[in-house]
Amino acid sequence: MQNNVPITRLGKFFGDRDFELEIGMGQEWLIGDMNYTCVLYRIDKNKIKTDDVYGEVIEDGVKFLPPVEFNAQITVAAPENKMIGTTRMDQFEPGNITISVYLKTLQDLDVDIDFGDYIGYYDSENFVRYYTVVNDGRVISDTKHTYKGFKPFYRTIIAAPVGPNEFRGL
Amino acid sequence: MALPKSHPVKPTLPLTYPKTLLPRREQIKDMITKDGTYLPKSLLHADLDKGFLQFVKEKFNIVSEGKKIPVVDIIITTQNWSQFVETWDFQNIDKNIEPPFLTIIRSPEVKYGNNPAVMYNIPNRRMYYYMEVPTWDGNRVGADIYKIPQPVPADFKYTVAIVCNRMREVNTLNQRVLETFASRQAYQVINGHYIPIINDGFTDESVLDLEKRKYYIQKYDFTMMGFLIDENDFEVSPAISRTFQVYEVDQRSKKGKQKKNQPVQLESIVYSYPNSATTNEYFFEYTCNLNFESTTNVTDYSVYINDNYYGDNVTLIQVNNGDMVKIDIVAGTTTQIPEIVFSQRLI
Repeated sequence: MQNNVPITRLGKFFGDRDFELEIGMGQEWLIGDMNYTCVLYRIDKNKIKTDDVYGEVIEDGVKFLPPVEFNAQITVAAPENKMIGTTRMDQFEPGNITISVYLKTLQDLDVDIDFGDYIGYYDSENFVRYYTVVNDGRVISDTKHTYKGFKPFYRTIIAAPVGPNEFRGL
Repeated sequence: MALPKSHPVKPTLPLTYPKTLLPRREQIKDMITKDGTYLPKSLLHADLDKGFLQFVKEKFNIVSEGKKIPVVDIIITTQNWSQFVETWDFQNIDKNIEPPFLTIIRSPEVKYGNNPAVMYNIPNRRMYYYMEVPTWDGNRVGADIYKIPQPVPADFKYTVAIVCNRMREVNTLNQRVLETFASRQAYQVINGHYIPIINDGFTDESVLDLEKRKYYIQKYDFTMMGFLIDENDFEVSPAISRTFQVYEVDQRSKKGKQKKNQPVQLESIVYSYPNSATTNEYFFEYTCNLNFESTTNVTDYSVYINDNYYGDNVTLIQVNNGDMVKIDIVAGTTTQIPEIVFSQRLI
């Protein structure tokens, strides 16, 4: 059984109730006002169809758990116009998506985001771009991810765009 | 219920389909024009590039997940629209070419070739005899002489790159390349010429950054040891079909060199006056001129022809046939016998 140790730092002027209040107000702003939403496609690691040797997914072999919509702060990087290696083939590669999500949001939804999970973000009503998680932001011990040094309160997840030959959603 | 026929089901399904539309028309055109002339076909940069593209499509025809891995059907140039046109059928919604695919890169520089079979041994690209082709113009048999310059060897460097997301696709191409080049070289027939291709090795440029889209890029380097022949340099000239020999003769009568008659020099005429004689005469039976030559112990002399006075001390006496020439002298003071010498010249 995991031991729970109360956090008493900043105790003279800040505590759990203040923390929850601040997080609640933040969620109210992010969810109520901003309402940036993503769809999380968690890989079903038991059902996914992969190659026996390399573990690479075969065509349309990605199996995922029921998609979960969640709110987060979204930043999409600018696309890069570059060649694919030195093949002289031009491409306008979409930028990565950076997702900052409250830990409480994930707790409320009872989901976790892992490496390799896919995230869909609707650019417009009829176009969704899919990303694969390349940094699940699991390590949140840095001060930046804490509320003024009190406790971590969000994760920063970075996902790279994927093509339809890897994942095409529903 | 009908019984199944003997071969109701295709044992295999073709994964690559026969050519249709414009590619099929080009294929038929190539069939028609193939072996159209006795001369070898041109082999220039574009022909060799097209031949290498064909080589890649035939030899590195890879199927993955039930789909043929597409080959970008052009040598990528500076014009982006051509790349777009050739890849539109395997682009994604962002108009980016979607892995897996194969692409061919040619080094723009083409250096003088190292193929020893086509190294020059005729300087200055002189034309040399290629073949003699018989001709028939309806009346007589002739021949045409075909001359072509010696081909120029040229090495073309190509890189075949596979861009994909799966190790299996990398493995398949690697297997194909190693099998094709098990003896280091392979051949491609381009416009009827066998062109060797050598595998120079390969490199890996896979993008494996943590926070980027990951894909494999493997590049195989090849050298096509080609040569250049330009049909505009070929020369066809008619050979000698019939020989007609004519001897031209000078029909004018040839005149020999006219002989020049040498005058017969007669002996000199000497009028001699021995025994104190002062007159002497001589009868001529021919016509001639007497030219005075010299005198001996004679002071003066007078000439009479047929007793007619002719002159004194004359140097030239014209004598006709039958003339009697008499010369009287005045002798000198010496004791020598007086003499007058004339030379004769026949007229």
